[in-house]
Amino acid sequence: MNPTLSELEARATREKAAFGGDAHIVCDNLVRIYKTEGVEVVALQGLDLVIDKGELVAIVGASGSGKSTLLNVLSGLDVPTAGVARVAGMDLLSMNARDRLRYRRSVVGFIWQQTARNLLPYLSARENVELPMKLAGRRGGRALELLELVGVGYCADRKIPEMSGGEQQRVAIAVALANSPQLILADEPTGELDSETSEQVFDALRKANRELGVTVVVVTHDPLVAEQVDRTVGIRDGRTSSETLRREGAEGQIVAEEYAVLDRVGRLQLPRDFMSALQMERRVRLELESDHIGVWPAREEPSDD
Amino acid sequence: MRIALLARVHLGTLAVLFVLALSACLLVAGLPRAMQSSFDEALRRSLATAPAWQADLTVSVEPRSPEEDLRERGQFDLRDRRWRQILPAALRPLVTGSGHMSAKTTRTPVTGTGGQTYINLGWLSDADQRVDWVQGRAPGRGSTMRYEGATIPVFEVGVSEDAQREMGLQVGQRKMLGENDYVAVQIVGIFKARNPADRYWSHNLEILQVTKIQPAGALDFEKHTTTLISDEGLAALRSEGRNLSYHWILPIDARGASALAVPDVDAAVTEFGRVAALQSTGSPYHLETGLPKLLGEFRAALGTAQTVMYLVLGGLLAVALGVIALAVLLLTDRLDHTLTVARARGGSLRQVAGAAAAVTGAAVVPAGLAGYGLSFLVPGPVLPIVHLGPAVVVLVAVGFAAARVARSHRSPLHERRDDVAAGRVSARRITLEVLVVALALAGAYLLRARGLAGGDPFLLLVPVGLTLAAALITLRCYPYPLRLFVRLAARGRAAVPFLGLTRAARARSASVLPVLVLLPALGVSVFAAVISDGIASTQRLASWQQVGAPIKVTSEIEIPAATISQVRALAGVEQVVLAQTGRVQVGYGAERAEAIAVDVAQWRRILDGAPVSVPALSDGALVSPELRGRGTFEIGWQSRVKLATRGVIDSLPGFYTQGKFIVVPLSVLTRPAVNTLLIKGDVSPDSLARLIPSGRVESQERALSAIRDDPLTRTVRWALVVVTVALGSYALVAVVLSLVVGAAERARAVSFLRTLGLSDRQAQRLTVLEILPMILLTALVGLGLGLLLPYALGPGVNLASYAGGLPVGDYSLDLLIPLALAAGLAAVAVLGAYAHTAISRRRNLGAVLRVGDLT
Repeated sequence: MNPTLSELEARATREKAAFGGDAHIVCDNLVRIYKTEGVEVVALQGLDLVIDKGELVAIVGASGSGKSTLLNVLSGLDVPTAGVARVAGMDLLSMNARDRLRYRRSVVGFIWQQTARNLLPYLSARENVELPMKLAGRRGGRALELLELVGVGYCADRKIPEMSGGEQQRVAIAVALANSPQLILADEPTGELDSETSEQVFDALRKANRELGVTVVVVTHDPLVAEQVDRTVGIRDGRTSSETLRREGAEGQIVAEEYAVLDRVGRLQLPRDFMSALQMERRVRLELESDHIGVWPAREEPSDD
Repeated sequence: MRIALLARVHLGTLAVLFVLALSACLLVAGLPRAMQSSFDEALRRSLATAPAWQADLTVSVEPRSPEEDLRERGQFDLRDRRWRQILPAALRPLVTGSGHMSAKTTRTPVTGTGGQTYINLGWLSDADQRVDWVQGRAPGRGSTMRYEGATIPVFEVGVSEDAQREMGLQVGQRKMLGENDYVAVQIVGIFKARNPADRYWSHNLEILQVTKIQPAGALDFEKHTTTLISDEGLAALRSEGRNLSYHWILPIDARGASALAVPDVDAAVTEFGRVAALQSTGSPYHLETGLPKLLGEFRAALGTAQTVMYLVLGGLLAVALGVIALAVLLLTDRLDHTLTVARARGGSLRQVAGAAAAVTGAAVVPAGLAGYGLSFLVPGPVLPIVHLGPAVVVLVAVGFAAARVARSHRSPLHERRDDVAAGRVSARRITLEVLVVALALAGAYLLRARGLAGGDPFLLLVPVGLTLAAALITLRCYPYPLRLFVRLAARGRAAVPFLGLTRAARARSASVLPVLVLLPALGVSVFAAVISDGIASTQRLASWQQVGAPIKVTSEIEIPAATISQVRALAGVEQVVLAQTGRVQVGYGAERAEAIAVDVAQWRRILDGAPVSVPALSDGALVSPELRGRGTFEIGWQSRVKLATRGVIDSLPGFYTQGKFIVVPLSVLTRPAVNTLLIKGDVSPDSLARLIPSGRVESQERALSAIRDDPLTRTVRWALVVVTVALGSYALVAVVLSLVVGAAERARAVSFLRTLGLSDRQAQRLTVLEILPMILLTALVGLGLGLLLPYALGPGVNLASYAGGLPVGDYSLDLLIPLALAAGLAAVAVLGAYAHTAISRRRNLGAVLRVGDLT
């Protein structure tokens, strides 16, 4: 039945629920193009991502898939070319320099992969933690508390080169937490560490997530890390391609279920090994069933002769 | 941020910055002071050596009516005080001593001598302190006598020893003066000056000496003397029927002179003359002084000195600022990690830039203060630049640090990917560069056409513009020839030349600054060296022009043959050329010319190797341009001599530079009366002077040292040397700094290549190849610029006053110093590159690569 004119008008003026609603982090069709003197690199090609407040999410993907670019955008260090990126209700595309500074000071904290890059070698751990507080014009009283929280309270007065890599990275987490951010972004925080130390660092991140209620987004290659989070988002070629959700089963064991991501216009990335197993390329057939959609390889067309 | 801690961490870089800023501030504040003090010294010397009558201020008046006659000392004193009251402020520091006053008559003939003898009457306010009576007594009150039916005054006068000798005046003589309005003088004493060398007598020379004047067309000399009368005599001195004039002399004290005040003094003299004229009630008072002319000559010399100094000091300042900017670049590179972390962790742009500025200031401000303080040890007046220079250095350093950090940290994530693509030049930038080059060339043309005399600020900027244009062209064009080499190297089998040259051709934009520093440094220092060299050789030329031989002895009377043979026998004398000079009659009229009879061939031999020469002459005569075109002419010299013109010369070294003069062979004279000796050899002028008491001995070496000893000349040369040395050092520092600035990046590249199998030796060659093309090219362009600048500016900058009056134009291409500068620079660059790879070899390969990872 055709809608009446008044119905159409009402439909047009009705406010559509925004994508992601009031989620903590919303990326909608995010595009980031690097232009370096004539050479263009598309790092993000319409990425969608929704993360709720208090979540602990891992982002995985191959090298060059756009993970670090996404993290740079979310941390306010980089500005996306197009799309929507919203963190804690703040639009990352329309922020001016002042807003961006306020955002970096009080909304987000982050940790780089290289320990040397996170900390100033000539300052002690406590002074490193106090630095962001002082930059924001606050008093640095909470520094020791934060160091205790991530388990390196005993390092407070040591200089950075006097600490192990794991300790350094945990101090970096304390630094990221210095101004009580709502969100922590970590770019391969355990990339340079052995598995035991990685465990400690990850524990510190989880502790921050649980005890302080901070949303944590970790970019990682480390399967050990990926296994310990509630949700793992896979990125391929600048788009979210898969999600793995973990929940506790009835007997206390962890059940992991991997999903493909369906974007808002209905696009779906099939896992590469699925495609190659059935030799799917270029065209597939879809069939709608009552409770699922079937995907078949394209039928061989009988030749005319 | 904790500035003190940051400063401690980067102590080494800050120390470099401190030393650079200190030296720059000291040079910029100290050099102008030292130069100004030598300008002052030069002014004082020029005032002190000028005759007093020229330098001092003399107010004169010629009374025209009896009411205006001054009869008492008090009347003179009253007016003297008046002059001092109305003296403009600018002249007060110069007129400090007490002057004197005088009343003199001129052209007062002795009755009945037919205008051949004149005895003037003179009164000096301080005669009693200035003369000693050698005969008779000082004049006193005069008397009267009857003469031709009238009562006339008789003045008691004293006459000088010279007048006694020359005019036969004796104590006791009475002379009648005047052709009407007669007076009589009674000679009561003979005096001599207590100190004849005193500048005082420059004003009253006619009192000490007899003046002989040969009127036009007359054969005999008129003789004039001025006698001294007493205060009582003054009371009887009337202006009626006499050429009487009164003078107040305000002596100039050179010690109070300052080169800075010269324009004011100039204006003040005019003002004083005007105000003095207004004081007159009857006959006008007028100011007589050569001070403006003296100051004008000084200003011309000073103007040139200032222009040259402006050029080299401007270059020095620019280069110093460039090197400081390089050091700041190094510092901000070192601070980059800290600032990036701070910026990423929520540091505002102001905080980050402020921290960089504060750390820079921690080194530069104390250095600026120290340099400013130390500059007060340099003697000289305090000029605005003394305050401004260090302030500019400090502000530029701090400002550059803040601006650079603010620019690179404007967005928090600043990862350059210069490794991916080479920069493309914007059309706007190309247009700007073309404009700069066009302006510089147009300016150079205008400068050559107009000169710098007008003090046109645009033209003063031309050298800067030319340097900038050369730098821009170098920067823009140097990759092209390099790419050619890269193409050649790519065909070869060796990897290192290809890699090294490729890296050189793709050098980051940070390599712009070393070029901008090196080019003016080399350019200005080569310019200074060439100018300095030009002045030196012209000074030598001028000294030869002045003397005309290694040693010249001139005598007013004939030098006896016996003395000449004694001179020949003196130890060290190699050669003696005899000559006679005189004033000769040309033709049969009243035309006179200076003449010299000399054995030209011998003279030419002793001038062998000197920068001056005399044309060969065996018979006939060489004449000055004013006597040209006469063919064969006759002169009257001892006898009538007929001479054919063999050539025209503009000047004769050691003798004549202008007017009418003739050079003839000595054989022309039947009996030469030798009064001039030209001597070659190592003999002391003093021993010659002892041998020939009547002779005046001049030596080329003494003349040269006299020219060199002039304070202005000395300063210019000395400042040029200081600037050359300073610029050379800055150039070396620039090379080292630019090596260090690019060190991290180069170390990363080399480390990476070492993992691919690059040997240490290859690494060293790679670094050298990467750096050398830029240094070599910059050195060459700088060298060319420095050699070209004197030619471009030559007509604009007149250095004649530093070279004994000769124009400095023939810049000899003595390439030694410039080449040494350029070669030294290139050598240091190569050594630096080797040392640099040697140091980086010690680093752990893994650590270098890991820390340098791009994420």
